[in-house]
Amino acid sequence: MRRCHRRETDGRRERLIVPLLNKARALLTQVETWLAAGSLLLLLLLALLQIAARNLFDAGFATADTLSRYLVLYVMFFGAALAVERDRHIRIDVACSFLSRATLNRLYRPMHALAALVCALLTNAAIRYWRDAWLYAPEHERWLVLVGLVIPVGFGLLTLQYLLAAWLGPDQDA
Amino acid sequence: MMLFAIVVLIALALFGLPLFTVLGAGSLLYAQQSDLDSAVLVVELNRLATSPNLTTIPLFTFAGVVLAAGGAPQRLIRLFNALLGWLPGGLAVVAIAACAFFTSFSGASGVTILALGGLLYPVLNKVHYPERFSLGLLTTSGSLGLLFPPSLAILLYGIVSGVNIDDLFVAGIVPGTVLMLLLGTYAAVIGHRFRVSHHSFAWGVALRALRSALGDVLLPLLIIVGIFGGFVTVSEAAACTALYVLVLEAVIHKSIDLKQQLAALLADTAILVGSILIILGVAMGLTNLLIDAQLPMKLLAWMEQSIDSQLKFLILMNIFLLAVGAMMDIFSATVVIVPLLLPLAARFGVDPVHLGIIFLANLEIGYSTPPVGINLFIASQRFEKPIFGLFRATLPFLGLMLIWLMLVTYLPALSLWWRY
Repeated sequence: MRRCHRRETDGRRERLIVPLLNKARALLTQVETWLAAGSLLLLLLLALLQIAARNLFDAGFATADTLSRYLVLYVMFFGAALAVERDRHIRIDVACSFLSRATLNRLYRPMHALAALVCALLTNAAIRYWRDAWLYAPEHERWLVLVGLVIPVGFGLLTLQYLLAAWLGPDQDA
Repeated sequence: MMLFAIVVLIALALFGLPLFTVLGAGSLLYAQQSDLDSAVLVVELNRLATSPNLTTIPLFTFAGVVLAAGGAPQRLIRLFNALLGWLPGGLAVVAIAACAFFTSFSGASGVTILALGGLLYPVLNKVHYPERFSLGLLTTSGSLGLLFPPSLAILLYGIVSGVNIDDLFVAGIVPGTVLMLLLGTYAAVIGHRFRVSHHSFAWGVALRALRSALGDVLLPLLIIVGIFGGFVTVSEAAACTALYVLVLEAVIHKSIDLKQQLAALLADTAILVGSILIILGVAMGLTNLLIDAQLPMKLLAWMEQSIDSQLKFLILMNIFLLAVGAMMDIFSATVVIVPLLLPLAARFGVDPVHLGIIFLANLEIGYSTPPVGINLFIASQRFEKPIFGLFRATLPFLGLMLIWLMLVTYLPALSLWWRY
């Protein structure tokens, strides 16, 4: 009786949480899509502006090249976070072709949880790296450290996407 | 303990843990084992932002994505069919040319088989090519243009190895053309043997097709002339290509609506780039740890004991890389294997540009070999055929590619002719 009641409570909680998580995931994905697209567009515009400045005015923006290369990191992290949601990350999943769909579904949550754990540890390393970089950067290079904030944020987003995927499971996947 | 961790990580990779997390976990474990702060891994990732040609990867990839969405595959098939369809085995030759051309822009990510394979397969069947031949041809063709500029695989190899990308672009042209000629000759023989029908050349049709696809076929020419004529750097060529393709598809052909589709195209590109570069970013940390632990030096010392000539080294390297190609995709293999291979190749006097072409040629073959040949999986989905059947269909093509690999490996002049 008590077990039955607990199962019902769990079920109710699940029914409340899952739609919320789905909404959160959709919102997160939407934001990542705009950030990824915006970063790539900015990268293209910056590169074209630099070419125009060099060829037409024989001048260039000193910081544009550095900024462009950091923008690639922005595209990389936001794109990688989107790739989690779309299940497009590169794998060497040789053994998976020998497994049934049911077994693959059973593996889905633990694999995504494990990926989330690795990303969380990398986020932690990135935060410590960034904090040190901020502390020891000369005043005129602080902006570069700020731009580099994308590394901890990017790993954080990957962690979040993997956690959501692990919680929601394969059936809820987009 | 470390050995056990490596075995577990390999097992997890085989069961589908994303590769960048496998490499990340390996790096974190190794850092902990060596009493190093894991923040050193991020130092290396941050160093990625100092790589001078890094911007070329997203920009050339974007150009490929826009071309695919804008109907370039259809225009290319129409053009190559008009120009080459009169040859014996004409349609198969058309398939080879169109796929190689398109793959050099799409980065051999499977888009070629999905975009061109779907169009060519029914047509090849209609003119009575044997089904197995058509399937083998289209499956293999998915990675044919890997050695032509501005191939994503060449760009990545250049960034990882530090070799000049311009040199790699020139070096890939002759080996890539030799492969197309080999496969084209085989297609002509099959076409002749099975009396496949081919149309006669018609100037009117050819001119109409050329007018429609002129913008597409001019693109590689503009890139090559731009870079090697000294007008633009590789990075600038990438930006110009992206702009050119946008104007071509949105303004000239009006095949994409920028207002409706631009954000989706940019996001698609970001996903493709993100899934490749995140592996590079994480692997750079691991590679640095391995170099600190002098693994390449130890490997070199071990190899020097058993290998005493360049020829032996090249033979062993080809066997090793074919095995790698059968297990890993080209982008992961480039990031993980190239830093270890470079010092070994240098010790045995192999030019790093030549090494790049040999490396990519091996991995190109790996695209169609089980267990993880991505072309097999994509073709299996696209043509609804079992993977083993597709592998059997690709065997004659793989045989020809192995002959080609030997030519590329043991005749360095094919890649380095421009230096003599």
